[in-house]
Amino acid sequence: MSGERGNVIIIGGGHNGLVASFYMARAGFKPIVLEARPMVGGMAVTEEVWPGFRCPTLAHTGGPIRAEIVRDMALERHGLRMTQPKARVTSVSPDGGSVTVYDDPAKTAQHLAAVSARDGKSFTEFQSILNRLGKIFAQLAGNTPPDIDSPSKDDLFRGVSTGRMIRKLGKQDLYRLLRWAPMPIADLMDECFDSDLLKGALAARAIFGSGVGPRSPGTSNLLLLRCADDLNVAGSASFPIGGTGALTQAMAQATTAAGTTIRTNAEVAGITIKDGRVTGVRLTTGEEIAASAVISNADPVRTLLNLVDPVHLTPTFLQHVQQYRSSGVVAKINLAVDGLPKFPALEKREDRDVLYPGRIHVGPSMNYVERAFDFSKYGEFSREPYMDVMVPTVSDPSLAPSGKHIMSVYVQFAPYALRTGDWKTRAGEFADCAIKTLSAYVPDLPNRILHQQVITPAEIESTYGSTGGHIFHGELTLEQFFTMRPLLGYARYRTPIKGLYMCGSGTHPGAGLTGRSGENAAREIVKDLR
Amino acid sequence: MRCSGDCGDCVCYNTGVSFRSIKMTNQTTNNKFDAIVIGGGHNGLVNAAYLARAGKKTVVLERRHVVGGAAVTEEIFPGFKFSVCSYVVSLLRPEIIRDLDLPRHGLEILPLDGTFTPMPSGDYLWRVNDHGKTRREIARHSRVDAEAYEEFGKAMLQMCKFVKPILSMTPPNPTTLKPSELMKLLFLGRRFKDLPEDDKYNQVQLMTMSAIDFLDQWFETDVLKATMSASGIIGTFLGVRSPGTAYVLLHHYMGEIDGAFRSWGFARGGTGAISNAIADAAREAGAEIRTKAGIAKILVKSGKAIGVVLENGDEIFGNVISSSVDPKLTFLKMLDRNQLPDEFVSSVEHYKFRGSSAKVNLALDSLPDFTCLPGRGEHLRGAISISPSVDYMERAYDDAKYGEYSKRPYIDMVIPSLTDPSVAPPGKHVMSCFVQYAPYHLASGNWDEKKEAFGDTVIDTLSQYAPNIKNIIVGRQVVTPLDLEREWGLTEGNIFQGELSLEQLFFLRPVPGWAQYRTPIKNLYMCGSATHPGGGIMGAPGRIAALEILKDWKA
Repeated sequence: MSGERGNVIIIGGGHNGLVASFYMARAGFKPIVLEARPMVGGMAVTEEVWPGFRCPTLAHTGGPIRAEIVRDMALERHGLRMTQPKARVTSVSPDGGSVTVYDDPAKTAQHLAAVSARDGKSFTEFQSILNRLGKIFAQLAGNTPPDIDSPSKDDLFRGVSTGRMIRKLGKQDLYRLLRWAPMPIADLMDECFDSDLLKGALAARAIFGSGVGPRSPGTSNLLLLRCADDLNVAGSASFPIGGTGALTQAMAQATTAAGTTIRTNAEVAGITIKDGRVTGVRLTTGEEIAASAVISNADPVRTLLNLVDPVHLTPTFLQHVQQYRSSGVVAKINLAVDGLPKFPALEKREDRDVLYPGRIHVGPSMNYVERAFDFSKYGEFSREPYMDVMVPTVSDPSLAPSGKHIMSVYVQFAPYALRTGDWKTRAGEFADCAIKTLSAYVPDLPNRILHQQVITPAEIESTYGSTGGHIFHGELTLEQFFTMRPLLGYARYRTPIKGLYMCGSGTHPGAGLTGRSGENAAREIVKDLR
Repeated sequence: MRCSGDCGDCVCYNTGVSFRSIKMTNQTTNNKFDAIVIGGGHNGLVNAAYLARAGKKTVVLERRHVVGGAAVTEEIFPGFKFSVCSYVVSLLRPEIIRDLDLPRHGLEILPLDGTFTPMPSGDYLWRVNDHGKTRREIARHSRVDAEAYEEFGKAMLQMCKFVKPILSMTPPNPTTLKPSELMKLLFLGRRFKDLPEDDKYNQVQLMTMSAIDFLDQWFETDVLKATMSASGIIGTFLGVRSPGTAYVLLHHYMGEIDGAFRSWGFARGGTGAISNAIADAAREAGAEIRTKAGIAKILVKSGKAIGVVLENGDEIFGNVISSSVDPKLTFLKMLDRNQLPDEFVSSVEHYKFRGSSAKVNLALDSLPDFTCLPGRGEHLRGAISISPSVDYMERAYDDAKYGEYSKRPYIDMVIPSLTDPSVAPPGKHVMSCFVQYAPYHLASGNWDEKKEAFGDTVIDTLSQYAPNIKNIIVGRQVVTPLDLEREWGLTEGNIFQGELSLEQLFFLRPVPGWAQYRTPIKNLYMCGSATHPGGGIMGAPGRIAALEILKDWKA
């Protein structure tokens, strides 16, 4: 049937684009994925940054990708091998203290009980509440947001089914859900826990990638949303052997096998439209490709303001797109190091070998993280940033030459729009600042650094194509969530232009490397095109 | 029905008196009532007035020597009368003014025209109620903003119209399947659905965004955004960039006087005059008001509230106890924990107060002289706002986040004596300065130690804009969050009896499951600012609570 109606083009070969293309292909269409870069994967890529060092350049953990997608795409058959470290995250302090959230909640509770009796007890309770509430969010994340103006039968059915699920929660959990969602994560953490190290790490998961601090209202919602795909409160530490790029490579193989054509080095310059309907795309080379439908995995601003000629959209709609908030706050530093840098806080622990493969959180208290955020409000990068560190070579030594390691560091806050200077001139100063901060936790780091790569928000925009350098294609605040993502009235993967769809992180549910946006989008698009 | 006031016409006025309550009145002594209202703040008084009008024998018990709670006028220095705490009015529900006929009881609202924002650069922004003038003034800063300002006003008016009915309704219970509750939820859903698309979009943004992110979409002038955003943070422990503050902006935008949206005013005689008018109306309807009657305990017998014990040991009995004080005082001080479900107690303990504001009241020899607009002009008759830039506002919040008062605070000032000369000796003036942030919880030291240093910070800040201020002060009263707690019974000094944050609004206010003015103890009700729709001199909680009490009474 797709042959009669022409091609389906997917702009961008990020993980959501690949997932969407797979489901389109499986439904009988012949999708073409157009990727501007020489390799697919978007922000989940492994690149040889220095000879012999293959870095997970941006994302360093797998979201985790949704189990159904792994199964449907048979990613394991296509070469994916995931590792799940026993320790999810260890929060370290400069004075050598540390707290770990393990893969096993019971073990975490036992470990925390040694730090504070209350925390041990509350952790078990908190985790069990999240297990219950997370399911609701999983249901929401897996559904297409309803059409508010004229709900369809399906919308009503899904609404009723979610409603039933919510009702099953019982009164106490329901109120918890209503009360927690708009709360600042700092208040929620204070209600539940004592340990600053623990609170710092959990609060950080909620605000990761967003221009908010632990005290910003609505940040608890982000934690709940993230629990849709990973019930562990500390977040994922799952790592694909071969780096996150191995995940998207497996996806590329799977979708190709299903019938998708992938073209790399094929940058889309514009979407061609006639009489309010998509006719195809034009590449930067001038080549035009006709299509009956175009699915954009690019972010909403890039898709609707850069790739579409504004004459096809109403002024109000354009204004709303312009107001879409997508100013990134995260930068990435990748280090090639000689030997494994030692964190004294981890060295003190008996189970240190279990801790190194997990993530290491630098941001020893909520106030620390909040202060890091303060800088970004005034257009400055944090003097003492909060950092999410991973040493992928512990899990997969093949990523670096023997005896060498890669240290992958997410640094927040690094606001896209600097008030003085620009990222080009200030990247070095920024990296120095981050490495100096990190050295307080890993004193032998500076002497071990062989190479460093700094990916500023400006580069996330220019190289990876995300407007404002936002790693989630737009802020995940309450006003850009669910039926409002990316815009109220356009949360169902469709746009005002017939035949133009969106499937990236800028659409519901959007957070991180889960593949849900791509999966949801494909489901809706198949419905329309049939 | 006996009236404790000296109005002569209360008996004939009170046509709603039922036979039963007249009979009761005749039989009982002065320690037995139909309804006991704890606290004589404006909400307690409104509550009592409505109950009395329905024929219930009602008594209001106020701990202080004067009624009004935080809406009170006091003569702090001889001849200088201050609206000690709250100082302007706008939100007072029109239905209350009408039902209680407050103008007849002496309520007179004088217009407060304009907001004047001096800037350190020597420039200023001065918005007044006159559209043309304001437009020209904003155009001086930005032509685009002058255009947008009109549009913004229209859009906000639509939003206010959407939210307004919510202010007068009892929040629905989202967990029940009762048809009446579901209807309420459906009503809200429909209202939202029926909004034009643009308004829907605005409404969503208002409910979730920060004041600045919201205003950024409309305006470019920094000082304009800073001053406008200030209404988004008043009384909260949030900054102008914190999500959720756009809603508080709307909450303050909803002011309405004589049917005119967005107008703010002074009460002649200070905010105490509002309380006095309500008290007068309550007395006329038959309520008794006792001052210096602090409450030690609420008496509970087999799960039912039956009365109260005063601090002096007196016992007073009532069929209904309606508490206008905050949940912490009501449930954790006046009751024993073991009288309440554990879950409820823990909800009350989690209810957030975190007062963030203070008052500095000044008795002045003459008027302040602003460098940017010298002399005694119309600009002094409105609000004067120290909010020169968005960064200034946000930095003020940063100090508070880490437990310090703002080194350079946001200050909202009025000089009511210019409009109402009765509050100061001839030629002299009173100036009310609302100051934020003054966090109740200080990282080091305590408010008693820091009180005067804080006062100095406020005066120093003012003197940067009006250098003569230090020379004209003849009296200074600093009201810290700790003072608000100790003297006015506002826990942690929160002027709204608890934060107006999203998780403490509507059906979550004050605590989940108990937003319908009832409590786990039978016959005990809440009617203060800690209940929906919250703080400000609005009176809505007192009124809606009274209606709910009467509903139960009938049933």
